[in-house]
Amino acid sequence: MSRWIGFILAILVGAAAGMLYGWVVSPVEYVDTTPQTLRVDYKSDYVLMVAEAYSTERDLAKAVTRLSALGSDMPAEIVRQAILFAESQGYTDADVALMRSLWRDLETWNPALPGQTP
Amino acid sequence: MNEKRGPWYLLTGLVIGAALGLLYAWVVRPVQYTNTAPDSLRTDYKDQYRAVIAAAYLANGDLLRARARLELLQDPDLYRVLAEQAQRTLADGGSPQEARGLGLLAVAVGQSALTTPGEAPPDGTSAPAATGELPGSPQAEISATLALEGTGTPVLETPVLETPDITPVVTDLGQSTASPSGTPRETAGTAPSTGTSSPGATRTPTPTRTPGPTSTPLPTRTATPTQGAPFVLDRQELVCDPDLIQPLELALVQVQVYDSAGKPVPGVESVINWEGGENHFYTGLKPEINPGYADFAMQPGVIYSLRLAEGGQIIPGLTPAECERTGGLRYWGAWRLVFVQP
Repeated sequence: MSRWIGFILAILVGAAAGMLYGWVVSPVEYVDTTPQTLRVDYKSDYVLMVAEAYSTERDLAKAVTRLSALGSDMPAEIVRQAILFAESQGYTDADVALMRSLWRDLETWNPALPGQTP
Repeated sequence: MNEKRGPWYLLTGLVIGAALGLLYAWVVRPVQYTNTAPDSLRTDYKDQYRAVIAAAYLANGDLLRARARLELLQDPDLYRVLAEQAQRTLADGGSPQEARGLGLLAVAVGQSALTTPGEAPPDGTSAPAATGELPGSPQAEISATLALEGTGTPVLETPVLETPDITPVVTDLGQSTASPSGTPRETAGTAPSTGTSSPGATRTPTPTRTPGPTSTPLPTRTATPTQGAPFVLDRQELVCDPDLIQPLELALVQVQVYDSAGKPVPGVESVINWEGGENHFYTGLKPEINPGYADFAMQPGVIYSLRLAEGGQIIPGLTPAECERTGGLRYWGAWRLVFVQP
């Protein structure tokens, strides 16, 4: 019986040692991540950058390509989420307006139409 | 019987425990990256991030904001990384517009170390003046380059030919690796904007809350660059300098553009034509040489003409010309075209 207790204790000690190593000695370092994993404020700022560029380039296909780095959601949905965050965090009106403009154009964007194909 | 087993059962327990821990960590509940920061992005995504930062900078001219965004990537040398990416973009056949944005941002970042933030113009027709020099800074390198040119120090093995009407010896050795193939320019598509609804229209912004880290910099719009007179050709010279031109098998056209104050101007588009082809390139993509510098590799036997896209005269008859080093070694010289704003 005592052997079983010792055996189970050894397992627990082994697991604890593994966690100590993984969490303290050599914790996870985030490298080679993708834009999809960015924190929401970074994602929102990325969307703002795309909107700023779009305001002068007026190239919706390029904006869509850039937004696709943030995930497989529809580009308009990605921008909508960023707008919601921007509004909740008090972004300037000018910044929100840029994102709204991009969002409106994405809502009506149809890549199948002539002149809108990337 | 039990005495023979010894303490091995403890070691077995440890191994099983560690294995179970790894199974749980790697299979049952593997690590999922969330809420990461831009500095953890993979290299290619960092490049993409920088390109978008540069595109946004071209649009709004807000250097303070662009710098804040670049610093999120925690690159050791912003100026160097941007300049290298600009050149890499061109070399890989990427968008010239993207390379131009990266180059202009590199120049602005390099100059901003010595000037007030938010003053660098995206179109570069009036570069901010440096207020001082820091040893080893990009601005110091640029100033050193200009000082050398200003004194006319004879560093060339073969004297520089100053006259524009020189008739160079043109030979076709068929060894050049230069390709005159034009890079197609990027064309911007358009999309109608007819939407009227807006997301989150009923939400009220909360001005008292602190914005996210990347939205902290306030917009500092850059003044629109003043329009000046068209650039005119000031000098056309054949430069024979085996130390200056690398690699030697490249026959370059080197364009240098200066404003009326004598400051190099980045972002000026040059158009070079040859029979059956055309290419566009921009000053400012090699800021380590000169912010107003651009070059193009010619192919032997091909005759080119060049003009600045912003107007001005056409420089015809550009073709690779040979230089001769002491000892009879021949190599390609470079045509240096210096444009100034009167």
